Amino acid sequence: MFKYIVRRLIMAIPVILGVSFLSFIIIQAAPGDFLDQFRMNPSYSQETIHQLEIKFGFNENILVQYGKWLVQVLQGNFGHSFQYHQPVYNIIWGRLGATLLLSITTLVISWVLGIGLGIFAAMRQYKLGDQVASVVALIGLSIPNFFFALLFLYMASKTGWFPIGGMTSINNSEMGFFQSIGDYLWHVAGPAITLGFSSLAGVMRQMRGQFLDQLGMDYVEFARAKGMPRKVVVYKHALRNAINPLITMFGYTLSSLLGGAVLTEQVFSWPGMGRLTIQALNSQDLYLVMASLLLSSLMLVLGNLSADLLLAAVDPRVRKRFQ
Amino acid sequence: MAEKKAQKKPAEITQENLDESFEVEYMSRWKLLVRAFRKHRAGRISLVILLILYVLMLFADFFSPANPYQQYTDRTFAPPSEVHWKYEDKLVAPYIYDVMSYRDPVTYQRIYEPASVIENFEGVNTDGEKINYTLGKDGVTAISLVFTSNITAIGSKSERSLKKSTEELEMIPLSKTDMMKEGGRTETITDQATLKTYLEDPIYSYKVARIGELQSVSIEEGVNAVSVAYEDGSKKKVNLSAINQFDLKRFTIKWFVKGWEYKLLGFIPMDIHLFGVDSPAQYYIFGADAYGRDVLTRILFGSQVSLTVGFAGILITFTLGLFLGGVAGYYGGWVDEVLMRATEILMSIPSLYLLISLRAILPADLPSNITYLMIIVILSFIGWPGMSRVIRGMVLSIKQSEYVEAARAMGYPTGRIIWKHIIPNTSTYIIVSATLSIPGYILGEAGLSFLGYGIREPQSSWGLMLAQAQKLSVLEQYPWLLLPGVFLFVAILAFNLFGDAMRDAMDPRALGH
Repeated sequence: MFKYIVRRLIMAIPVILGVSFLSFIIIQAAPGDFLDQFRMNPSYSQETIHQLEIKFGFNENILVQYGKWLVQVLQGNFGHSFQYHQPVYNIIWGRLGATLLLSITTLVISWVLGIGLGIFAAMRQYKLGDQVASVVALIGLSIPNFFFALLFLYMASKTGWFPIGGMTSINNSEMGFFQSIGDYLWHVAGPAITLGFSSLAGVMRQMRGQFLDQLGMDYVEFARAKGMPRKVVVYKHALRNAINPLITMFGYTLSSLLGGAVLTEQVFSWPGMGRLTIQALNSQDLYLVMASLLLSSLMLVLGNLSADLLLAAVDPRVRKRFQ
Repeated sequence: MAEKKAQKKPAEITQENLDESFEVEYMSRWKLLVRAFRKHRAGRISLVILLILYVLMLFADFFSPANPYQQYTDRTFAPPSEVHWKYEDKLVAPYIYDVMSYRDPVTYQRIYEPASVIENFEGVNTDGEKINYTLGKDGVTAISLVFTSNITAIGSKSERSLKKSTEELEMIPLSKTDMMKEGGRTETITDQATLKTYLEDPIYSYKVARIGELQSVSIEEGVNAVSVAYEDGSKKKVNLSAINQFDLKRFTIKWFVKGWEYKLLGFIPMDIHLFGVDSPAQYYIFGADAYGRDVLTRILFGSQVSLTVGFAGILITFTLGLFLGGVAGYYGGWVDEVLMRATEILMSIPSLYLLISLRAILPADLPSNITYLMIIVILSFIGWPGMSRVIRGMVLSIKQSEYVEAARAMGYPTGRIIWKHIIPNTSTYIIVSATLSIPGYILGEAGLSFLGYGIREPQSSWGLMLAQAQKLSVLEQYPWLLLPGVFLFVAILAFNLFGDAMRDAMDPRALGH
């Protein structure tokens, strides 16, 4: 098992190196750099700009720049952000809370509702409940996230049921502990519902399909014929088998935990990783972008790995294959 | 499941069953496909919706009531025009009024009110003579009315006039017509809350304080004169004692009107539009945007971008994916290894970031049609890795099959085996996944334009139009700016349903094999 994990991680190294190299080249290939705004500004002398160029390493060959950055990263230093004048590590650490809060609530919404609706629909196949659930899923699948976010915002501004963006109320710091947590949850509701609604459809469809497949299997028929109560057959035997592929799927979604959702965060002005990365891309804040991209590709590798491990944890057949 | 159950029943020999087995036996694959598709109701409906959307897109110029690039700065965020069906309780052809706007003195918002010029006016002057003016007759070029209003405060001790005003208007707001027909109106305010505003008003409070306790405020409105302008520049003002009859100019919605010039399908010069109204009125079915441009028109022109990126995108993606996936799967070895590592790397970068950084490489001020092409190329660049991986997998499995081995044994060149034997066997998958991947391209373009990296003003795209609704103050007051999103949603939904139907129809079981 341990060997397997190590082998997977070693195999991921060239991919991550490739990602970092490609992104570095693409970002640096864009015309101009972070210092352009200073070059336009007459209050910065030619000399200062030249010094800054040397400081940021812009005067060197792209490959040399990449090599230097790579050495830095391997030493555990992600470099300084140009625009925030802070270590990149600190900035990303500061956004981690908001990003995780949003992605975890989204995960809870989409998975709890998705699995529930999927089971519900499968049990009522071709009846009204099933059809309503599949229409809901289809709408969730087809509605663009940012449009749904705008609709939600419109609803929030007209009814006042939800806040219109941001992560906290102005007076959050004065609130008590539980009140403050409630305030966070109230604010995260909008973006989390938006994102959860769109990913709910995938979970629901998968759950319904798998569950129906299992219900049609011979062992289910046999267990029923043996006189086992329907509830036990359905929820203990069929459901457990049906949920396996979903566990793999869950592992893959773990990779998006730190990725952030640019468009939704933008509409709800949520201070997550997505907006951070976009702003950094806009101002060509090279090292910040690189750190964020590296983080998401690392998460992808870990997510895929965790998908396999999770499956091994729940399915003895898979476990056997590893040994 | 339903199909399985149906199969379990012992087949009765009926005419219908015989027909069915005959059709399955002798129809061509294409005919069977159409037959299977027809049975899918959601698929049929979505196909019709898509066809309508594409016809609207192709003839966008003809269907648009307004020029998509013409700005009307005096009509920013004008609301959807109100269509009237009745005039003086009689049914008439649908018509609209022009609008006038003013800034709300408190909130500084522009407020629109339906209004129109007077076309025909009959009244009695102070000497008791009847007067009659008609626009365009006897050289009359404009008829304006002089409105008077008089606000009086009535206190416990005395009365005092607060404000007297006269105002000459050429555009008569619709809200004043009832008052004009009644020959003036007096409104008495006794409501305490409204009275309080007079007491607190910085201008009125001084006057109100001197008349004791404020009991009521009366507002008198009326029309006291008509002013007529003539062709030669002269003006005549007549004091009125009564208004007998007046007609506001109505703008009937006309079919096949002449409007701005365009080229139908890009080469037929025309200036006929499906519907419209005479200027200076503007018929806004869906309201106007921040520059006073018709939202419907912008949506129709936006569809030319939003509905075509999908097809153009899959064309490039599939060519690339088929070629690279086919080569990787067929040859294997180091070619396969290199290509698959490359796809892994590309798929590991979050696609939106990759899109934006790729867009950033290109200069920002490209001409609009080049930008459009570039967006398609970038979107396809993101799309090909997934596609080629799947094709590679299929080619790997097909390669093992006997007919490919037979072809190889017969000495066919490799290229011919790939293109003639292997690729056609992936066609079912390709067609279905092409349809289902179109929404991704539409969304990609919309997202890019929404964030400001895609199509730029004055060009139009659904994502770009939604970007205007991003500001909360705008979104709150002008919800019709959300309409492009509805079109986006409908188009994506239709493609999803259509793709599902295609998948079901191409299922060998549905074809009767």
